[in-house]
Amino acid sequence: MPVPDLFLAMMKEEWRMHSTIFGSLGFALFPAIIAIFALLGSFTLPLFADVFPYDVVALLAHALFLLMGVMVGSFGLMGREFMNRRFGQASLIAYASRSLPVSERRIFGAFLVKDTVYYILLYVLPFAAGFAAATPFIGLDPGLGPLAFVSLALAFLLGLSAVCFLSTLYARSVALLAGTVAVLVMFALAAFRLGAITVSAVLPPYAFFLDPKVEPLAISLLLILVPATASVLFVTVDYPDRTKRFKNSLDPLAERVGTLGSAHFIAKDALDLLRSEGGAGKVIFSFLLPLGLVWVCLRVLIRFIPGIDPLVVFAVLLGVISATIYNWLTEFDSFTSYAFLPVEVSAVIDAKLKSYAIANLLPLGVLVLAAATSGAAGTFLPALAAFASVSAYTLAVTLYLTGLHPNVMLYSAGVFLRYLLAISPALLLLIFASIVDPGYAALSLLLVVPAALLLSRGRTKWQAWEMPGY
Amino acid sequence: MIEATDLTKNYGNVTAVNRVSFSVTEGELFGLLGPNGSGKTTMIRMLTGQIPPTSGSARVMGLDAAKDPIGVRGLVGIIPEQETPPSFLTAEEYLRFVAGIRNLDSVDERCDRWFDLLEFQDKRDVLCKDLSRGTRQKLMFAQAFLHEPGLALIDEPLINLDPIMQRTVKDFLQEYVRNGGTVFLSTHILEIAEEICDRIGVIHNGRLLHCGPVGDLVGSGRHLESFFLDLVKGDAGA
Repeated sequence: MPVPDLFLAMMKEEWRMHSTIFGSLGFALFPAIIAIFALLGSFTLPLFADVFPYDVVALLAHALFLLMGVMVGSFGLMGREFMNRRFGQASLIAYASRSLPVSERRIFGAFLVKDTVYYILLYVLPFAAGFAAATPFIGLDPGLGPLAFVSLALAFLLGLSAVCFLSTLYARSVALLAGTVAVLVMFALAAFRLGAITVSAVLPPYAFFLDPKVEPLAISLLLILVPATASVLFVTVDYPDRTKRFKNSLDPLAERVGTLGSAHFIAKDALDLLRSEGGAGKVIFSFLLPLGLVWVCLRVLIRFIPGIDPLVVFAVLLGVISATIYNWLTEFDSFTSYAFLPVEVSAVIDAKLKSYAIANLLPLGVLVLAAATSGAAGTFLPALAAFASVSAYTLAVTLYLTGLHPNVMLYSAGVFLRYLLAISPALLLLIFASIVDPGYAALSLLLVVPAALLLSRGRTKWQAWEMPGY
Repeated sequence: MIEATDLTKNYGNVTAVNRVSFSVTEGELFGLLGPNGSGKTTMIRMLTGQIPPTSGSARVMGLDAAKDPIGVRGLVGIIPEQETPPSFLTAEEYLRFVAGIRNLDSVDERCDRWFDLLEFQDKRDVLCKDLSRGTRQKLMFAQAFLHEPGLALIDEPLINLDPIMQRTVKDFLQEYVRNGGTVFLSTHILEIAEEICDRIGVIHNGRLLHCGPVGDLVGSGRHLESFFLDLVKGDAGA
């Protein structure tokens, strides 16, 4: 089967998978929502230019798309487990090299091309189009629109190819992966000591956006094509025998959290996270990477906004990002696993909330660390209030809108729009209030009221929805 | 043990189950037979409160399945056709997980009994995702009987099992019924029903075409296969 045919079949498959869940219109509108938000966001750029210079906004956008590439690539790593839980036995073309007369290399190559085209059309193009449509009205060069499309696509592909490369190494040998990561870390440390690490060096597509010359473009393409080609050439589905055996860890874990109730569910959540591909590392990675970017950006922002308290703003954003832990907690689970047991939907939701509360010790630790190392311990209490309240509120919104299916439902245009509308105003208000006075961050405690309401209504709503949905 | 009255389930314009009434008494092994898509799985889901009926009612072990689904599922054991155990628990951990949900005691003994009976002791510490389909089916079988229910509802009981294990399971079900248990199983494999069921119901296009003892067929010299085919083809042609 030629690669173009495989590619077309995979494109159809991806579209049908999403449109089956959301309806064709609901999914088709998703890029439109992104375009509208990019357009509206671009109109606000001149208003906040003193606070958020254009190059900082561009850096954030490129970092965001890099992260998105990482996430799409990670799904490729763990997608099969997810699909099995979501749809029963998964039977995607990508997993069919043993049953189709097509080499795994061709299938993986077509899969990479499909992901590239599909997600660039889904995310990058609408984002760049929204920005491009605004440029004539905000005094920017209209040429920046197409340039942003290219550089953001490069940032996305950089993340995608890096994760694919690492996953191929992992499939070949865990030791090879560990060795490669160790070499990369040593290289990064050496470069840091030599003062050679700059944002442009770490993120060449961003450098290309700032200065569209051949050199950053060539470096970007090199960093994309070499790992991607290597991952296709060395891809394997003939994993060594990795039948994993474990002594009973469920009961000991359940005993530890027994006082919280839902002990066996919480223990199961922990084992799901620890034993699925990537282990706890995938949570920490998907969590700490954006946090690192946020922290770097905040250090830059301090120079432009004298009144800003980095710890408080960091805590607000930490609260939002920590809500992604809920996505991980529901990634490998669905109510159909419990529908034949004497279990209510609300009991599963309650258990997820408890698991979430426990897992939030990780971001809490990050906040304590940030307070201790940044010399901003004086605003720790309002920062703590902001983190806890925003985390609870974002979780409540996610739960109300998506139930036990955040990884799927947030791709529905309507749900995504409501999610953004519920989170963004609260977030912006808190950030601006904290710029006026860091102490105002304590106002975030008011979010606990809508959070409680949304959690209560969410339980009722999904209790009614899940049963007939089985 | 089961009393279904005019049970009906519509999915939009499609009627999956159409005004079906029947009963299953204690100590009976009842088989619901029907071609693929005839409404067997929908019937089991209604009987166990997993989905509510559009109309009609089902009483299972004295409880209304629609009004008290958790109560029903607490009493009975269910083996769904397609569901597989959670990927990242081991076989033993899954049984312990189910035991935790059902608040069972003597969990070690219960687990050991099922690993021994279904001959998969060597797989107890293997992650469910790494188990073969047959072993997963054994595990689903074990979870359904872990609390020693008075009634078991089984969707396609022998699917994925090898002939030796099929014999073991059939023997177990017959022994279970002899000891006072009740089994409601749905299948499209007629040999199973002919061999182990006391009574059968035949469902086609959501309608119950026949309900009666298997012995009647044997007494009249007919094979279940020809009886079933005549019924279903006759209904399709009607």
